[in-house]
Amino acid sequence: MIAVQNVSKHFENKQALSEVNLDIATGEFISIVGPSGCGKSTLLRIIADLVSTNGVVTKPGKGAFVFQDSALLPWRTVQRNVELLMELEKTPDKKTKAEQALAQVGLTGFENHYPHELSGGMKMRLSLARSLVLEPEYLLLDEPLSAVDELTREVLQEEIYEIWLKHKFTSILVTHNVAEAVYLSSRVVVMSPRPGKITDIVDIPFRKRTPKLRSTAEFSVVCNDISGKLRAWK
Amino acid sequence: MEIKRTLPPVLILVAFILSWHIGAVIYNMPFLLPTPGAVASTFVSDFGIIMTGLAQTFEAAFTGYIIACLIGFAVATIMSLNHVAERSLYPYAILLQTVPVVAVAPLIVLWFGFEMKSIIIISVIISLFPIINNTLLGLKSTPTTLVELFEMHSKNSIVSFFKLRVPAALPAIFSGLKISAGLSVIGAIVGEFIIGSGSEDGGLGVQIIYAQAELETALVMALITATTLLGFTFFATISTLGYYLMHKWHESEQRG
Repeated sequence: MIAVQNVSKHFENKQALSEVNLDIATGEFISIVGPSGCGKSTLLRIIADLVSTNGVVTKPGKGAFVFQDSALLPWRTVQRNVELLMELEKTPDKKTKAEQALAQVGLTGFENHYPHELSGGMKMRLSLARSLVLEPEYLLLDEPLSAVDELTREVLQEEIYEIWLKHKFTSILVTHNVAEAVYLSSRVVVMSPRPGKITDIVDIPFRKRTPKLRSTAEFSVVCNDISGKLRAWK
Repeated sequence: MEIKRTLPPVLILVAFILSWHIGAVIYNMPFLLPTPGAVASTFVSDFGIIMTGLAQTFEAAFTGYIIACLIGFAVATIMSLNHVAERSLYPYAILLQTVPVVAVAPLIVLWFGFEMKSIIIISVIISLFPIINNTLLGLKSTPTTLVELFEMHSKNSIVSFFKLRVPAALPAIFSGLKISAGLSVIGAIVGEFIIGSGSEDGGLGVQIIYAQAELETALVMALITATTLLGFTFFATISTLGYYLMHKWHESEQRG
């Protein structure tokens, strides 16, 4: 599991995060939603150890971070981008693992392409594949789908869900898209800005997630409930 | 498509040579303004001596360029890794750029003698700043998320320097290298001007001073053509190298 205890953060006299406490069960998928400036990305970076804190974060050893801009190396081909993290962590069987991961995200055949030749959706798939090859115990996703169009976004949400279902890594998704959070998560954490703190944690009642779920009345009710909680802070 | 691309600059060149020729014929003072034909025939008749000069100037400029690259990369690397080093060194790097090299050149010749060494040093001074400045800029502007990605998965900063910082800096490094390619030739010519005195055998700069004193204007212009060709070849070589390293992934090297 991942445990966040008493996490606060100041940036030059401004309090960005105030006393955040959060427990995420092993294999759970949770989302954090909140208006911009509420510190949700900072919280994710604190969990990833990219930003320091005076609180305590407990987490499993192996994790990966999926960045908003997909963070690919433009001078490397798709193949060499998938191999990057394995190269840095000296993981064996690079070739086989890269091949499997690319097949899983539907990028087989694009091995020799460069990132600038890929669409936004493909870049994000590649970014996911690059993390999956590490067989991470937890995955942190920082608004990964904010740069792709609406249609691709829903398809990618379904793909992310399938991948998570198969591997069951503990996942924390930061997003400003409420429907995305509801579709993917078992719980949605609502944050308020200045200073960022958790104001609500909403349990999502749906068991199986299929595209049909989006058009059900129950789905809309849950989304509206969370949107209302978000708007309360504006 | 190829013709569409190359035709306009060729037309400009033809127009330039044509108006030069007409002007020279009308003006009719060959010792001040020889015709393009006269310059071309001097280029051919004095080809041997021009090539000897070219070889010397090339040696000085090339050596100066390589030294400037080595110093430039080293200084920029140190500055990119250490803020104190950056703050202490950068003002002096700017000084390199702002001190008129032509004014300092006589001093360098006094110190290091009337020889190749001085010419190389002047070439280094003049071509160093763009390399330092652009390499530093490139090494410092690695996208934040890529830096974070490497921070999460590698504790080895040498690995992230060579696998991330350097390739990400390549476009900026090459824009500095291209500027300095031409400058290194200018530096060598300036050095040769200062050294140049009553002798025909020397670099192109020496020969230009000599030919000028002899009022051999056609030769001066043939020599200028040779210096231009040298600078252009330097630039083209570096550009080609940059193209091969980057055309597959960087928009600055993609031909549309």
